Amino acid sequence: MPSPGEAAPADLAAMLTMQRPQVEAMARAWLLAGARAFGITSHGQVLAAWPGPEALSAAQIAPGAAGGLASEVTAEGHVLGELRVAGLAGDVAAARLAADAALLAQLAQQERELDAVAEELVGAQDQILALYDLARAARSHLSLPETLSALAGETARLVATDGAAVLFVPDDGEPAWGWHGPGVPELAALLAAFRCLPANGRELILAGSAATHGGDLLLVPIHMRDRTAAALALARGPGGAAFASPEIKLAHAIAEQAGAQIENVLLYEETLARARLDTEMALARTVQMRLLPARAPAITGLQLAGRAVPALQVGGDFYDFMPAQAGRACTFAVGDVSGKGLSAALVMAMARSVLRSKASGGATPAQMLDGANAELYDDLTEVAMFATVFVGQYDPAARTLRYANAGHSPVIYGPPGGPARLLEADGTALGVLPFSLCQDYALPFDPGALLVIGTDGFSEANNAAGELFGYERLLRLVESLAGSPAAAIADEIYAAVGAFAAGQLQADDQTLIVAKGVLP
Amino acid sequence: MKMKWRLIGKIAVLEPIGRFDAHNAPAVAEALTEARNSSLKDAIVNLEQVNFLDSTALATLVQGMKHCRQLGGDLHLCCLQQPVRIIFELTRLDKAFDIYETEAEALHAFAG
Repeated sequence: MPSPGEAAPADLAAMLTMQRPQVEAMARAWLLAGARAFGITSHGQVLAAWPGPEALSAAQIAPGAAGGLASEVTAEGHVLGELRVAGLAGDVAAARLAADAALLAQLAQQERELDAVAEELVGAQDQILALYDLARAARSHLSLPETLSALAGETARLVATDGAAVLFVPDDGEPAWGWHGPGVPELAALLAAFRCLPANGRELILAGSAATHGGDLLLVPIHMRDRTAAALALARGPGGAAFASPEIKLAHAIAEQAGAQIENVLLYEETLARARLDTEMALARTVQMRLLPARAPAITGLQLAGRAVPALQVGGDFYDFMPAQAGRACTFAVGDVSGKGLSAALVMAMARSVLRSKASGGATPAQMLDGANAELYDDLTEVAMFATVFVGQYDPAARTLRYANAGHSPVIYGPPGGPARLLEADGTALGVLPFSLCQDYALPFDPGALLVIGTDGFSEANNAAGELFGYERLLRLVESLAGSPAAAIADEIYAAVGAFAAGQLQADDQTLIVAKGVLP
Repeated sequence: MKMKWRLIGKIAVLEPIGRFDAHNAPAVAEALTEARNSSLKDAIVNLEQVNFLDSTALATLVQGMKHCRQLGGDLHLCCLQQPVRIIFELTRLDKAFDIYETEAEALHAFAG
């Protein structure tokens, strides 16, 4: 079948079918003028002859028959055939035959153009219908894999082919694809072809491709988000017709439509993910804030202040005050659960309750951490998390602060009038090892002594240049604030770290307890 | 972050590159799970090209270490840059892991 836009030669036989009455009128005129026979030949074959019986007339005008006239019917330099007349001669008859031949050539030409236009119309109509079907089929799918599969299925149906695939190659992350039909190459082969796509947005045809076992592969780029992010692949096994221009055009039209569909789905998925994340974060923040103590307990000889500012992406920080009761010294704890989001907030809630339960009965900080680790180890292993925890206990009679540290930092101790220093952990975080390595330590805690237990949200705060706030700065800051009351020190630390990281997103929770020895 | 992984004998050697944080910890976790599913009980994480770890990354390594030990194997760390070494010291995870200066030493420790 000739294609629109291609120079298929005009065809006398086709013209004769469509224009028979006109040619018959022409034949009658010749017979009236005295011709014995009139006919049309093409490439040595008689297409039609008059007056009939046809076979008899055909013999008289057949090429090579004696006597008579012939005139070539030519269109665009191609000889389509000949008009032949038997039983007439002379210049007048020859000129008339030449004029008739020219007329028939024109008729054949017009017939051909009409065909081409009609075919193009039908083709366009097919494409519109095809694209309508495609849009309708893809619209009902909301996930990317489903959409890619639906697009591949529809494409295979619309372009009669052995297999179709739609490939999506994101900037980062794994490529995704959907396919339909037995002739589809492996994903690796498609990806290799994808990387060979020309930059000008044109298709790629691999003829006799190994990927299609000797068949042809047509790859049409899908442009979206300012780059070629996807492609439509059509495969045809060996022995099938080569991909022709109308199919390639149709494939481009489908590719454009598919690009819009994929983009819609991506937008939808992104919106959904963001909404999900927002909900989760709001929940996590609620869990986290609800569990923090509303106010610090009043203790003779000790000022306590606790603060927590969760990051946009909530982590699992917590702090807790367990006031002195019968058989229990005033105990406080700061912890940080690895990871972020709702899971971290839930594990934080769990760790906090377990610690509370271990605080009774005169347990020391190390015994509390020991017990908490034993109770939490399996659960923490199950969810692949751990929790760093610092536990402090104030003894007002002895003016000492007993503590144990399970992998927590930063913890800063400033003796009255002395330089501040980091108190490094001696045990690993809860959930790391099935046993605890923590021991109890005692710090003299006279009036003026200072203990700041923060979380890594302070030391790892970034400034615009990407610099970390770091431990050094934190130590100097704590020294400079040593003269203030505990609550003021807490506020100043937030202010200083906030000013350092001005304009940067707070990446992690910032939680702290400040304990300060005061005169009773 | 990119990650390479190799097999030396029956020991999986992972080499994360760049920042090792919540965004790319899943890739490391996946590689460790894959090694575990292939019945490899020993692994080495070479941190030579890692300049930062966050708590999710540490949790991933801890989980990997636990899994290896469950199978009777271990997860060794090697080639820690100074900032990374400090993170391990501050969190005392240096007590939980066997940490080696070089990959050769980490490998050799399995042989012994």
